[in-house]
Amino acid sequence: MKTFAKMAAAAVVASVVAGAAMAEGLYTPNLSYRTGPFAATGIPLMNGQKDYMAMLNARDGGVGGVAIDFEECETGYSTEKGVECYEKTKGKAIVTQPWSTGITLQVLPKTNVDMIPILAPGYGFSPMMDGKTFQWAFNMPSGYWDGADMILQYLQSQGDLKGKKVAFLHLDHPYGKEPLPLLEAKAETMGYELLPIPVGLKEMQNQSAQWLQIRRERPDYVVMWGWGAMNAGAITEAVKTKFDMSKMVGVWWSGHDADLAIVGDKGKGYKSISWSFPDAASGVMADIKKHVVDAGLSESNETEMNGVFYGRGLVMSMILAEGIKVAQDKYGAAEINAEQLRWGLENINITEERLAELGMSGMVPAFSTSCANHTGHSGGWMLEWDGAKFVKVSDHLAPDTAAYVDIANAKAAEYAEANAPWAVNEECEG
Amino acid sequence: MLKDIFITPFVDMFSAPDFLLQVLWEGLVSGILYALIALGFVLIFRSSRIFNFAQGIMVVFAALTLVGLHAMGIPAWISVVLTLGVMFVLAVSIERIVLRPLVGQPDIILFMATIGITLFLIGGGEIIFGGENKVMITEELGIPTGDTVLEPWGGLLILQHLDITVVVVATALVAALLAFLNYTQMGRAIRALGDDHQAALSVGISLQTVWVLVWFIAGIIALVTGIAWGARAGVSFALEVIAYKALPVLMLGGLESITGAIIGGLMIGILEKLFEIYWGQPLLGGNTETWFAFVLALIVLLFRPQGLFGEKIIERV
Repeated sequence: MKTFAKMAAAAVVASVVAGAAMAEGLYTPNLSYRTGPFAATGIPLMNGQKDYMAMLNARDGGVGGVAIDFEECETGYSTEKGVECYEKTKGKAIVTQPWSTGITLQVLPKTNVDMIPILAPGYGFSPMMDGKTFQWAFNMPSGYWDGADMILQYLQSQGDLKGKKVAFLHLDHPYGKEPLPLLEAKAETMGYELLPIPVGLKEMQNQSAQWLQIRRERPDYVVMWGWGAMNAGAITEAVKTKFDMSKMVGVWWSGHDADLAIVGDKGKGYKSISWSFPDAASGVMADIKKHVVDAGLSESNETEMNGVFYGRGLVMSMILAEGIKVAQDKYGAAEINAEQLRWGLENINITEERLAELGMSGMVPAFSTSCANHTGHSGGWMLEWDGAKFVKVSDHLAPDTAAYVDIANAKAAEYAEANAPWAVNEECEG
Repeated sequence: MLKDIFITPFVDMFSAPDFLLQVLWEGLVSGILYALIALGFVLIFRSSRIFNFAQGIMVVFAALTLVGLHAMGIPAWISVVLTLGVMFVLAVSIERIVLRPLVGQPDIILFMATIGITLFLIGGGEIIFGGENKVMITEELGIPTGDTVLEPWGGLLILQHLDITVVVVATALVAALLAFLNYTQMGRAIRALGDDHQAALSVGISLQTVWVLVWFIAGIIALVTGIAWGARAGVSFALEVIAYKALPVLMLGGLESITGAIIGGLMIGILEKLFEIYWGQPLLGGNTETWFAFVLALIVLLFRPQGLFGEKIIERV
């Protein structure tokens, strides 16, 4: 009993000391989801994010000598819980990472008042690319409209899309509907027929009706905006209905190794656009193994660490760390605040040379942000499932942002008007 | 508009009968799976008046246990037996730790207790097995995964062997369950408890034994359902969501009727598929399966508040 009491006391002391130590760092909460119906896709991403920050803390003592206090607040991908997490963490946070387009849309107006940057790499509201209007929101290195545009460019390169039918299989959720304005506008200019096919949350694992529709409509391509169990559900139905997998392309959140592993060889040819690519032999992975995995600080495993989503988690945390570093350099202080980080995130310049220094060459395309450009528009690569893993099958693809910047600006203005009074960055030459 | 509602769908059905057959087949497979989940609810409700909120997570827990045991190197069929053992231990634990202390409490308390069981199984499952998507051991269990392609009327009908197996196994399970309930002493005890708690107890039927038994049977159903759904789209906590599909089945068939669960499941499975394909997608933009079953159940409840097969309860006040 005495031993147990001593152990308990030691645990309490240790947790208090650890908490105090962490409290001195830069508080960067992550509104994670390791539970619930979307946990399977959330876990590798969260592990990648967490391991990168743990590596920086262990190897460099954080960023600029100050530790990163990377705390997770579990949302289960629920918008309500996400908002609760935001409210709970916003007091001392220098950034919020909301995950889920639903949560992002809910906290977006709040952050404009609370003056906390939102970092939503590769998700969120596409018009966030207009940094003048959305001065506190960032979704670099690429937004959903970039992804949709790159997919269309790739399909166009396989043969003129004019007169073709493109089915858009998407989660019936703000995230799934996000690229619709662009796809509709592009259907007008490129001359293809768009067939939106929504998948309800309760139907994610039984999409037989959606795939019967695809069988009946015979689209030339299926573009998928899936998440969580919807991806595996769609891919297994595609195999079941003998759909030509080479005609199916998903957004970056529909390119998860574990979803494709369910069908294995039968999924060969399935493609996914991606702004990240894993590299097990990279310098950053070696450092993570040395400082995090070998130290017993990682919750991941080897299979997961070689996957696309874990690698993407690393890139996400790298972007945040770079934003912090840029802000520290600009303001000459290690302990930066939310406003200073906003400037940092707005002035990121990740070149090929910088990626090489970070040991992340080829894991994300080079990109930069500016006061008017909060998305970066890095572009990406088309990945293809080879039966066991994703491989790159294209050179770097760049989105044609000029084709939709006007739509984005119009949507941004519409948003600002609907949420008036909405503070914009007047100093920005948008 | 009237033509699109009353004529075009039927013209489509008869102009492509092979496609109609495919729709009916997919509806039948979904319906049988809905019926299986609903049966788990009905069995427990009949014997204990508890609406088991944990039925969905039991599906996840059973499937995760099976896959997890096999991942430890245990042969597939031994893993099935061990999983059944785990579900039995779970049934005994629920009866001893959760239900027994709550005997005589209002129904809402027992319902809340099953929410507690749900949260416990979610947390426990995530700690033990992790939240990652896992591949169901379909081939290891000897479940066929190919397909048979038929060409009725010169068209195309694809029958997945997995779906055929699901239909056969689920039908056999339901038949066995009905035989057990109707022709065995313990089965009659379960039915007696469902009919009249006090009378059943007065003739010596053990409430504890029956509760363990029905929760164990619900566990077996959860395992079969977990294998069937897991083979289609992997094993993850998202499987829990499919339990919500059983709610309109229960509303339609009645909470106490085994026949109602089976017929209600089949009706909803087939009708929602027909409606989605021939009316929902062309006229309403699709995704009508999320609400169609509830609307159908509500319409039935307007005319038969006890459901199609539920017992009409008349109480003196």
